[in-house]
Amino acid sequence: MGVFINSVLILGILGFVSGTFLAFAAKKFEVKEDPKVKEVLSALPGVNCGACGFPGCEGFAKAIVKGDAKPDGCIPGKRQGVPEKVKAILSK
Amino acid sequence: MKIFLIFLSAILVNNFVLQKFLGICPFLGVSKKIDTAVGMSLAVTFVMVLASIITWLLNGLLIAINLQFLTTIVFILVIAVLVQFVEIVLKKTSPSLYEALGIFLPLITTNCAILGLALLNVQSNYNLLETVFNAVGAGLGFGMALILFAGIREELEFADVPAPFKGLAGALITAGILSMSFVGFNGMIKL
Repeated sequence: MGVFINSVLILGILGFVSGTFLAFAAKKFEVKEDPKVKEVLSALPGVNCGACGFPGCEGFAKAIVKGDAKPDGCIPGKRQGVPEKVKAILSK
Repeated sequence: MKIFLIFLSAILVNNFVLQKFLGICPFLGVSKKIDTAVGMSLAVTFVMVLASIITWLLNGLLIAINLQFLTTIVFILVIAVLVQFVEIVLKKTSPSLYEALGIFLPLITTNCAILGLALLNVQSNYNLLETVFNAVGAGLGFGMALILFAGIREELEFADVPAPFKGLAGALITAGILSMSFVGFNGMIKL
């Protein structure tokens, strides 16, 4: 029983300490991103299929906001009206 | 003297990539350009040194409370945290390097060279100073192998290579020859 409690305790403490450390680091080294990227990303299907030619949906979202990709480049999202949603976000 | 031997052995004789065949994934993945190879080696060295120190301390703690079976999971946790930290810092300080390293940066977490180093330090009963020198040596050795290989690959781009050996096939053969040349150091330092 002692071994069980000790292992849970030590991993719990370690996990908590590392999590706090990373949270602080993330706050300290925060990168300001264009909020539009997040919005475009949430409009995409999020399957990370790579059919658009970019690394994952995040890469595609960044490329759209930058103007390197067209809104209808998302192949799985085409029928669900993703291009229209993306265009609405971009023209805001 | 022993510290110097450990350091030299980690760079040349027991080179992680070319002698122990650990960490081959980034060795082939980010060796297309010298710039990214340098960035990758620095990131790996940083993680190796810090991970070695922290895992050495934690290992003492685990032995003291008789929980050695947790070694692997604790070591992996420490490495994962450090890699995440490097990723966060790189994203802020050098976005271009962050883009160039791409998926290979988070993949340092599962790079067996780092877990291997942490486990070898513990198994060899090194003290803290020896551990640090072994880690710096291993990191530099990894960097040396990566940069040497990247240099060769950059030159190979301009060479007249037969079509079947273009790209990765030629790179794998080059890696083999490079590793063979390092076998010449075998047995030079016995620890």
